Amino acid sequence: MAACGGNSSGCWVSPEVYKHHEQRKVCISRPKYREGRAAKAVKVYTINLESHYLMVQGVPAIGVMTELIQLCALYGAVEEYRPLDEYPAEEFTEVYLVKFQKLTSARAAKRHMDEKSFYGGVLHVCYVPEYESVEDTRLKLLDRRRYIMRTARNKARQREDKDGGTEEPLTSNTATTSEKIISQQDQRLHNYNIEDSSNSNHYSDFPLLPLPPYEHHYLVHKNQHGTMHTEDKMGTLYNAIIDTKQRPAQKSSSDREKSREHRPTPNQASAVRFIPRNTHLENRKRKMEDTVDHTCTELSGKNDHLIGPKLPEPPKLDMEDDSLNTTAMLIRNTMKQVGSVPDVKPVEKKMKPRRRI
Amino acid sequence: MWKGSSEGSDRFEYLQTLVTEFQDTDSEEAKEQVLANLANFAYDPKNMEYLRELQVPDLFLDMLTEENENFVEFGMGGLCNLSMDPECRDIILQSSGISLVTNRLSSQREETVLSAITTLMNLSTPSSRSEITDPALLQCMLRFSLSESPRLRNLAAVFLQDCCTREQVAQAEQQMQGQQTAIGIPLPKDN
Repeated sequence: MAACGGNSSGCWVSPEVYKHHEQRKVCISRPKYREGRAAKAVKVYTINLESHYLMVQGVPAIGVMTELIQLCALYGAVEEYRPLDEYPAEEFTEVYLVKFQKLTSARAAKRHMDEKSFYGGVLHVCYVPEYESVEDTRLKLLDRRRYIMRTARNKARQREDKDGGTEEPLTSNTATTSEKIISQQDQRLHNYNIEDSSNSNHYSDFPLLPLPPYEHHYLVHKNQHGTMHTEDKMGTLYNAIIDTKQRPAQKSSSDREKSREHRPTPNQASAVRFIPRNTHLENRKRKMEDTVDHTCTELSGKNDHLIGPKLPEPPKLDMEDDSLNTTAMLIRNTMKQVGSVPDVKPVEKKMKPRRRI
Repeated sequence: MWKGSSEGSDRFEYLQTLVTEFQDTDSEEAKEQVLANLANFAYDPKNMEYLRELQVPDLFLDMLTEENENFVEFGMGGLCNLSMDPECRDIILQSSGISLVTNRLSSQREETVLSAITTLMNLSTPSSRSEITDPALLQCMLRFSLSESPRLRNLAAVFLQDCCTREQVAQAEQQMQGQQTAIGIPLPKDN
């Protein structure tokens, strides 16, 4: 951990440099079908990595803070900002911390500002969730969960509608029924939005700026905002998706709906080609048994097992020979077993090997 | 990355291709890439239905017992993303997800641990509550809440405040004092 000494957390503790601030190496070995428009690193985004807080590195030290914040404000309301003077910066550049009012704004700003040139420098923008307070983190998670719930509910209703529709023969009138569904959906979404804005009206009085035109690229699909009202809250991106993607995909998805009804057809089954679940389960069970075998010496009793970080294991020596390694491992395991016995309350299982020795 | 329906390639089919590649390839690197792809697709609720159908929740769960730390991190990230969805959450719960995720709280990677905590919060339902508030788990969160890492500290604090009662926390604290101190045990590294 990149930790400073002691527990002294104060304003003059110099900000720490975390691994996730670094720009990862882009991946160049992807096959064509998985290649995106922009080169990306192999990385998984979760809500934990995202934040209302962004750090902007590489700002030329020529007194352009106002311009930078103006640029940020294009993507949404900026709640706070300050230069991070102590943060290690490249020569003649500055680092800034910017807090957006909304996560969607931070997301848009990151997407559009990262790796863009700015007064002769190239900006590096990253999320800095470590500046969040507990409350910030809680709200972030809550917002996300609420948004997913809302989408799931919408999806469920849409499915219900569609199931109602597929009772009729799915031929020429598919297009018209799906049109109807979409308009109903829009209506509902509209209602949702009204509900939501009354719930969180402390945001709604802020005049929203339109986002600059976006490019389609990897990971962008989750927050494509084209219009003013979609920028407002996380939930509304669903709207944007309906407008762009849902319509052309409607027919094929209803077709699939039909084929799913009489699953498993041989066609479908061969197409999915998923290793049956029970083999995985077997595998997992085996692995878990293995690990239990290894760790049972550490676990005493039943109830007071320790969850979480364990003491580091001693570094494994490599004898540069398979046979020697195996021998070393056997000796090590035996020593571990012997060493652990006095600490453990007498359990039959563990007594046995001792007797043998 | 996403070519869109304009080229006629359906999202479901695309995801299916990814899953198939994941299973067919022998290259660890390709597996990591595909796994990261799938985990990122799990961020978008639009894909939940397809991912469920392709049994991706189970695929992610299987990754938690892998030795490759990248597999674990990406799988856990995928679960963190998926478990926000109620239906995926139920699938994960049915596949004994809680214990699999809990086991990975001991990971050395901070990102994995953070994803695990968030996943556990997402998995908290009235019927799973007792498992989520297991004293040993709360003690682990109490230790995390003392971490030097602000992200870990914050997330553990949210867990302790939102997923269990004050009495449960107090009880776990008391039990911790009875035991040997856990302060010396290292917390995840940010690597």
